[in-house]
Amino acid sequence: MTQSDLITILPLLALVVWACALLLVDLFIPKGRKGWTALLAAAGLALTMGLTLAQAGREASGFGGMLRLDGFSTFLNVLFLGSGLLGVAVAYGYLKRMDLERGEFYSLLLFSITGMMLMAQAADLIVIFLALELLSIPLYVLAAFARPRADSEEAGLKYFLLGAFSTGFVVYGITLVFGATGTTSLAKIVEVLAAGSLGTGSLLLTIGAALILVGFSFKVAAVPFHMWTPDVYQGAPTPVTAFMSVGAKAAGFAALMRIFVMAFPSLSADLTPVLWALAALTMFIGNIIAISQTNIKRMLAYSSIAHAGYILMALVAYGNPAVAADSVASALFYLVAYAVTSFGAWSVVMSLEKPDAKGLEINDFAGLGRRNPLLAAAMTIFMLSFTGMPPTLGLVGKFFLFRTAIEGGFIGLAIIGVLTSLISAYYYLRVVVTMYMREGEPQAEGEYWLTFTTVVTALATVVLQFLPAALFALAAGAVLK
Amino acid sequence: MTAEQILFLLTGALILGSALMVVATRKLLHAALWLVAALFGVAILYAILQASFLAVVQVVVYIGAIAILFIFAVMLTRREMRDQGQQTRTNWWIAALLGLLILAGLVFLILAVPGADRLPAALPEGLDTVRALGNALVSPEAYVLPFEVASVLLLAALVGAVYIASVGKKD
Repeated sequence: MTQSDLITILPLLALVVWACALLLVDLFIPKGRKGWTALLAAAGLALTMGLTLAQAGREASGFGGMLRLDGFSTFLNVLFLGSGLLGVAVAYGYLKRMDLERGEFYSLLLFSITGMMLMAQAADLIVIFLALELLSIPLYVLAAFARPRADSEEAGLKYFLLGAFSTGFVVYGITLVFGATGTTSLAKIVEVLAAGSLGTGSLLLTIGAALILVGFSFKVAAVPFHMWTPDVYQGAPTPVTAFMSVGAKAAGFAALMRIFVMAFPSLSADLTPVLWALAALTMFIGNIIAISQTNIKRMLAYSSIAHAGYILMALVAYGNPAVAADSVASALFYLVAYAVTSFGAWSVVMSLEKPDAKGLEINDFAGLGRRNPLLAAAMTIFMLSFTGMPPTLGLVGKFFLFRTAIEGGFIGLAIIGVLTSLISAYYYLRVVVTMYMREGEPQAEGEYWLTFTTVVTALATVVLQFLPAALFALAAGAVLK
Repeated sequence: MTAEQILFLLTGALILGSALMVVATRKLLHAALWLVAALFGVAILYAILQASFLAVVQVVVYIGAIAILFIFAVMLTRREMRDQGQQTRTNWWIAALLGLLILAGLVFLILAVPGADRLPAALPEGLDTVRALGNALVSPEAYVLPFEVASVLLLAALVGAVYIASVGKKD
């Protein structure tokens, strides 16, 4: 193992070792004091975050080019670790309250984050496949964590079956790409394509790429591969849902960007129309079905589908070399905006959730404006940010996405984006109206770390919009080369 | 047609037929035995490709361990050895039609690739495939990273499986 190998894998290695150690240490922590496990998990994430930040700006490649360390991976790894830290913060009190306090939760969370980080760093289709599995399998278990509650079991099983099915698509796509090019390394695929000796094999390559796209569309919950999302998001314990909606989505997009922008720009003539249709369908169907939801978790699930559509919109132009850098940067920027907003909104939902999945109807938010002005104000900020209205980060994020789509020449798609954003205002603002205009006596949980998460994400949603240039510059520095 | 090709076609028919029986039979134990047959067919495929080590591993690990584990699990956990529910839905033929169409498309696609009808070239004389495989799995320039990630993945899956199995019981 060379030094460059070690540098590339260092944060990953730290997190894996920490997760295994946590598994052992947890055995000695008595039941009822699992706060220590949460603290140790957070410490591991913070340590890994420190290592990742210490490597910022470095570029290296290890293990025969299978693993890369670059701006792209650093940016995403910070996002994954940040969402992991927030996930631990909201999970601690929630698990205690719902009588689910088990040490395995945190180890599984760390394993899943390891998979996500590996996904952001992988430059070989085999590693991408293993990373996909490593991030998904702990999530299947976490979705069923509230077992024997029936809806949580259903969520876990549904996510597992459909997830395994979609992984099958990815693997099949990888074999076809391997059959056409004779290699799984993204860098070598580029070389083979540049040599242009593929002949009829190029059809095989296109179909392989399309199958990979199908598999990852499932992971990011794009229509028509979104069927699992509402049931899984509703049934899974809410901290898991929050983490899944942010982390798994970002990891799916990480793989899509890495594979398509790095290896398959030459296929864009075939794939751009497909991506166009996926993005348009996802925005439309996600937003329209969200209108009819009365359960807040289901509504946020459809909202999460719709936001996958907005991010896909940026990727439609990936094959145009003049816009490719912008399309990755604006997608990364929006992932951050979505992560902050989404985590905030889910933390408010957790504040109002009662045992046995009670307190999750939108009507249960009635009167929150009077009972708990701080929480209601935070929720208002998140809803505005989801809609893309000022004064929030969501507005800036959508601005960059639309700009990328227009620069790439997809004005029709940008118009669809604006129209569906208008539709979405209806159901997001309905939550705000319910909180302020209707009478009710909601009982909100005042647990310290939960409130902390809500306040931090609300502040971030408002404050970060004043430095969009700085954040966008960071995202632009993370562009794939 | 050479003997090798005939053997390949027969093995393919064996694998597909047994795989179909795995999902079609109503008796769980029979399904597990059909699975053994399908896995054995895959071992023959490896042998045809001169990957003797993989063929042995396929028999030892998949048939010897995993399929037997299936049978144990079925016998130990299920009181009912027959599946009583309806096996097909009313519009199963649409799915079958779609499946056949996709199959036809894939066959067409693979035949279009130059060299798809050629026999695999024989391995060079004296090549030690087991040694090459072993070296590839531990060399940092080759597959040590996927190898290690797979073990982490298995650990995570193990922890998850134990959690799922244990949490239903009240401790």
